[in-house]
Amino acid sequence: MDKKIGVFVCHCGINIAQTVDVEALTKYASTLDDVVVSKDYKYMCSDQGSKLIKGSIRKHDLDGVVIACCSPRMHEHTFRNVVEDGGLNQFNLEIANVREQCSWAHESKEEATKKAKTLVRAAVAKTRMLESLTSSKIAVTPKALVIGGGIAGIQTSLDLANAGYQVSLVERSPSIGGRMAQLDKTFPTLDCSSCILTPKMMEVSNHPNIELLTYSEVIGVDGNIGNYTVKITKHPRYVDIEKCTGCGDCAAACRMKGRVPSKFDMNMGKRSAAYVPFPQAVPLKYTIDSEYCLFLTRGKCGDEPACKTACIQKAINFDQKAEEIERKYGAIIVATGYDLMDPASLYEYGYSHSADVITTLELERLISSSGPTSGEIIRPSDGNKPKSITFILCVGSRDETQYPWCCRIGCMSALKHVYLLREKVGEDVEINICYTDIRSYGKGYEEFYRKIRGIKSNFFRGRPSEVRNMRDHLKIDIFDTMTNKLFEIKTDMVVLVPALIPRLDANELTRTLHLSQSGDGFFLEAHPKLRPMDTFTDGTFLAGCCQGPKDIQDTVSQASGAASRAETILSKKELEIEPLIASVDEDLCSGCSICISICSFKAIELTEEKDGGSHAVVNEALCKGCGACVGSCPSGAMQQKGFKDKQLLPMVDESV
Amino acid sequence: MSIVDLTSMAQSQTELRNEINERLAKLQNEISDYCFQCGKCTAGCEAHKLLELEPHKIVALTKRGLIDEMVNSDVIWTCMSCFKCWERCPQKVAPIEILNALKNMAVASGKQIPGQYTSMLQSILSIGLIQDVQEVSTHDNKIVKRESLGLPPISKPVDAAKFQMALTKLAVEKV
Amino acid sequence: MKKYALYPGCVMPTEQYAYELSIREVLPLLDVELVDTNGFSCCGEPMKSVNKMVTLYLAARNLAIGEKKEMDLFVPCPMCHFSLSECKHVLSNNNEMKERINGMLASENLAYNGTSEIVHTVDLLHDIVGIDEIKKHVKKSLKGLKLATHYGCHLIRPSEIGRPVDAENPQKMESILLALGAEPLYYPEKLDCCGAPILANLRESALTKTGQKLQRIQEQKFDAMVDVCPWCHKMFDSRQNKAGETVATKLEVPVLYLTQVLGIAFAVNKEKLGLNLNNSPVNKLNL
Repeated sequence: MDKKIGVFVCHCGINIAQTVDVEALTKYASTLDDVVVSKDYKYMCSDQGSKLIKGSIRKHDLDGVVIACCSPRMHEHTFRNVVEDGGLNQFNLEIANVREQCSWAHESKEEATKKAKTLVRAAVAKTRMLESLTSSKIAVTPKALVIGGGIAGIQTSLDLANAGYQVSLVERSPSIGGRMAQLDKTFPTLDCSSCILTPKMMEVSNHPNIELLTYSEVIGVDGNIGNYTVKITKHPRYVDIEKCTGCGDCAAACRMKGRVPSKFDMNMGKRSAAYVPFPQAVPLKYTIDSEYCLFLTRGKCGDEPACKTACIQKAINFDQKAEEIERKYGAIIVATGYDLMDPASLYEYGYSHSADVITTLELERLISSSGPTSGEIIRPSDGNKPKSITFILCVGSRDETQYPWCCRIGCMSALKHVYLLREKVGEDVEINICYTDIRSYGKGYEEFYRKIRGIKSNFFRGRPSEVRNMRDHLKIDIFDTMTNKLFEIKTDMVVLVPALIPRLDANELTRTLHLSQSGDGFFLEAHPKLRPMDTFTDGTFLAGCCQGPKDIQDTVSQASGAASRAETILSKKELEIEPLIASVDEDLCSGCSICISICSFKAIELTEEKDGGSHAVVNEALCKGCGACVGSCPSGAMQQKGFKDKQLLPMVDESV
Repeated sequence: MSIVDLTSMAQSQTELRNEINERLAKLQNEISDYCFQCGKCTAGCEAHKLLELEPHKIVALTKRGLIDEMVNSDVIWTCMSCFKCWERCPQKVAPIEILNALKNMAVASGKQIPGQYTSMLQSILSIGLIQDVQEVSTHDNKIVKRESLGLPPISKPVDAAKFQMALTKLAVEKV
Repeated sequence: MKKYALYPGCVMPTEQYAYELSIREVLPLLDVELVDTNGFSCCGEPMKSVNKMVTLYLAARNLAIGEKKEMDLFVPCPMCHFSLSECKHVLSNNNEMKERINGMLASENLAYNGTSEIVHTVDLLHDIVGIDEIKKHVKKSLKGLKLATHYGCHLIRPSEIGRPVDAENPQKMESILLALGAEPLYYPEKLDCCGAPILANLRESALTKTGQKLQRIQEQKFDAMVDVCPWCHKMFDSRQNKAGETVATKLEVPVLYLTQVLGIAFAVNKEKLGLNLNNSPVNKLNL
């Protein structure tokens, strides 16, 4: 079986050529058995480089190609296409990584070149045994799953639905809207948040292509790109949403009225056990909070539950159970959002020991006219109007002892709050801002900052050491690096701008969705610059703050981007599956089933043979090519295409 | 290619800066390039209001290499060792450690040690403690000493000579 | 029975006798045995401004003595406790320094291996003896006594090297005092420094710090202040009058060691607790 192999050595500019003697390497390759042509070029991945490879394939009738270049993670895909274009099945290509694993990791030119020669020799050894492979195809389910009903999830759903695809939008709270629904106004335009959000929420609710699953959670994802099988739990609302008209009589009658902390209001206000999170909720259907409802927690609520008595539509149904459904999707977009750091971990700022030290989101609820104080700015401790309000920025952000990253939106939210407060409380209230830097980087942001500097408020450049509760007021010492003076601020209310952190249950979610996290705990994108919406799980995409803190416009951009990425899958009738998956040699297989017990993807089954025996069969759609079964097979019947023993063992021989 | 502080005409003293780096590295803290001058240390500094110590400024001057100015100053001796700057710094700088290094360098360069530190050191050398047993007066003006209160004899280095020798040798060692 | 070598430091055995008296009275009642050990010296902390190598050596030698006796050290002074803790921290992370120090210790026939644990009064009482055990010995409830706790600085910071009490919200003394029936209350100046470390070179500023804190405690109508450090007590109690002069205020705040307060609650004889050695007006309390 005389092969005709071509070896192509890339300089990668100086990335490889500076440390590896590429000329010597090319010459060496030409001396190896079965190598009929050996060439080098400065940038093999360029147009010229690919012409070189394709030309050589045709000229020498090559049936094997080795490219000594960068990591396969970079350009294997590119080079496979080049080889296929040159008329040779793309799986007859082997890459020798002489960059990340050679020139970038070593300093001695002599040693690096020696290693590069070994790598090429091994690659040639494998190529002698490579076989042509054909991809199989799987049908694509043209439906998308969007997890998370904040502005990111809403935008993605609308884009996909308007492109003609069926979308399921799963949201775990009783209403969509997310963080944006909690805001009063948005920066820098000072649009009313609800006014711009609610129309989109209504559009989602009315869209024929969107199935809205609120008060539901994704609990399991199986399958892969184009073919996901997803389990969703629909939590019981104890209200029949077909009958509920959203009138609110149940909430008014509820015996727990005014006693349940409202999560939507950041625990600044109280509600009933029967509730909608906010007046513009979509869907406008009531839910009974199983954590606080007297009937559900104690089994008894008076003679008859008050909500039941009050509801004219007879929509209350305490017999409801959680429902588990299974659906199929072709693509998944994750848009689960963020949490705010609990400032109690920076005890010195007084959040734990003064009710008048609050966070920006809590202030947002106070400012909001539909909030717990109907828009009145009052001190939570005594209900009095504050005469002085002080902001402390970067609480827990840019902090090696808490969260090292910048929260991106803190500066702009604080500036926005200064504006809104000035509007609400008038000229006489003192407003102080203690900042480390003001990051006003977006379109219109710096202009907005200038506008706020024009509103009589006091900017101090520095971080206070602590907030002291002096009982009738709060005291802050701050060293202002602009004037080099220590100022003592006596203030009535302190607003902390806390760090934006991953959702507290992000870890569990990564397991369910098979996602990775970056070092900061947010979901990991495939490439921060070039693939910010993709993940390493093909077919699953990210949108919004679950990938990293960002403002609303970047969230919406990313959401639309994610929809577009998903459409590249959903628009196809079928996808090619990479054939580098496990396959069974039926003659060797004894049906011992060790591989079946090993496979985490349930991709192997046992099949009966005519003469009474059995052997394993791999389901190509489910197999992810992880190789675990190959390692466990005692007879060698299970092999991985493209990585068979007969292909890998010669590499080992050449390397040692 | 030089940077000069126009108020003092001093140039960056890189060897001195490296010396501080070295001292701190041996004690696990590193001179912090990471300080971004937020001033949280100075805002909480126990010595700031009374004695005008500005820990963040000390860090900034050290980063710039203007060491002599600080080593020769009185302000570095005002630190109250309260550790609030170390505890609360968001970039894990420990200004107090830089101050200790500067004070050690001042002593090593022959500057006069202020206050009672010298007499404390001498007392340690001779009896192992910073001061000898004191007479105190009770509330009703009686004078008492350790013995008269029935307390056991004080703990001191067993072999005074060996202790003194070890310490004297040490006193000239740099961290 | 828990056994510790008593590491007294410098200030307690040479002038803050009340602390030592009350420790020796109260701890045996809680089943803690203190072993007097010869050979100790200053912990080195007052010398760190002069030469940190001297500090490290002194701390290491005291730990090595405890090791030689195969005992853990009870360290009633937080400054000593910090010095010994920091020494442990540095030597456990830096082998080169550890070898260097051991080379010097050899001349005193000592060796440091880091096997001796150290404990201060507060964590000994709170974590090791335990609140339940303390409650058992209370014979006289301190009901109605409004107390301001003073932890000082060296006991609670810097948390990076590990301290026995929380840096921002220390509560161990409060738990102990509540167990005695007393009323420890929050006050904004709780974490302020006593000024002692600059007593050596900037006396008046040190006394100003002391006076300012006492002033605030007096204004907030506390019955007494409770401390756990001989340096702090030296400032707040022994130098209260001078501090008052420095801040131009008549200061009349009773200041007691935690161990004295415990002794009172355990109905121990007042003289045995050294209460006649407190310069501050402790008799005001009618205990």
